[in-house]
Amino acid sequence: MVRTEKRWHSWMSWDYEKEERWLNELSAGGLHMTKGGAFRSEFERDDTVRYTYGLDYQGGLTKKNGKLDEYIELYREIGWEYVSTYAGIWHFFRRPWEPGETPKLYTDRESLVGHYRKIQRLMIVMLLLNAGIFCINMTNIVSRIDGAVRWGITGPLLVIYVGLFTLLGYGIMKIKGKIKKIDGE
Amino acid sequence: MDKWKQMLPLTEAFYYILVTLYAEPSHGYGMMQEVERMSGGRVKLGAGTLYTALSTLQGKGLIDHHPGAEGADARRKMYAITQNGREVLAAEVGRLEELLEAGRHALKGAGL
Repeated sequence: MVRTEKRWHSWMSWDYEKEERWLNELSAGGLHMTKGGAFRSEFERDDTVRYTYGLDYQGGLTKKNGKLDEYIELYREIGWEYVSTYAGIWHFFRRPWEPGETPKLYTDRESLVGHYRKIQRLMIVMLLLNAGIFCINMTNIVSRIDGAVRWGITGPLLVIYVGLFTLLGYGIMKIKGKIKKIDGE
Repeated sequence: MDKWKQMLPLTEAFYYILVTLYAEPSHGYGMMQEVERMSGGRVKLGAGTLYTALSTLQGKGLIDHHPGAEGADARRKMYAITQNGREVLAAEVGRLEELLEAGRHALKGAGL
């Protein structure tokens, strides 16, 4: 019987290639991811196989519009097995490992930059959305609550949001750096 | 042909996919193999590259779904080139010919 193991581990969308490398290393050691997540992933132990993992960001694919099946089927044709999805936008694939090669999902400059840009766009949207929510919250609090209580609420809120903005801003810059590196090559 | 100029140049992946489909309709795996063969193994289309190229080409109306043959693996989606796709490919080949000619001329002049 195959044993399922769970691991707490987080990764950032702009660093998805690092996550791929991590999954490949674990697979080389006999631990294969079967369910991917942003914080917790599930693995199965099997020393008889080894996989190469690929992470792909694709939005707007659902069972309902038929695009998800079409997408999974095309990747299957090219040799990738669909493992799982996270949040419906990150898709995890794997294929049997072969010595001497690391198959990639994006094999030319243009499509890789396109992939990076899509990830970057999502982070920009999230940043703007959160900035909007933050402004609404702040205006509400400041207009309704007075004195010390006001700062008791806004203080922690401010810390959380500043952290979030910094993280997203950092990610957007990281992706920008990656795109620049490819375009400048 | 002028109306296609804004779509040019095509990326290698887009170009080779249109060339492959110009001959006959094909599915993803068939296209990947044919492109690899035509380029002598130089251009290997990854799944993500192929998927985004097909979505983009379809979105621009250069290719379209093709009803699969009877008894064929029904899950496999077939693609065919459209009239617009043929015209874009012709325009791109014309552009490439000009580039090649200029390049060849320069090399000849330099005695290579």
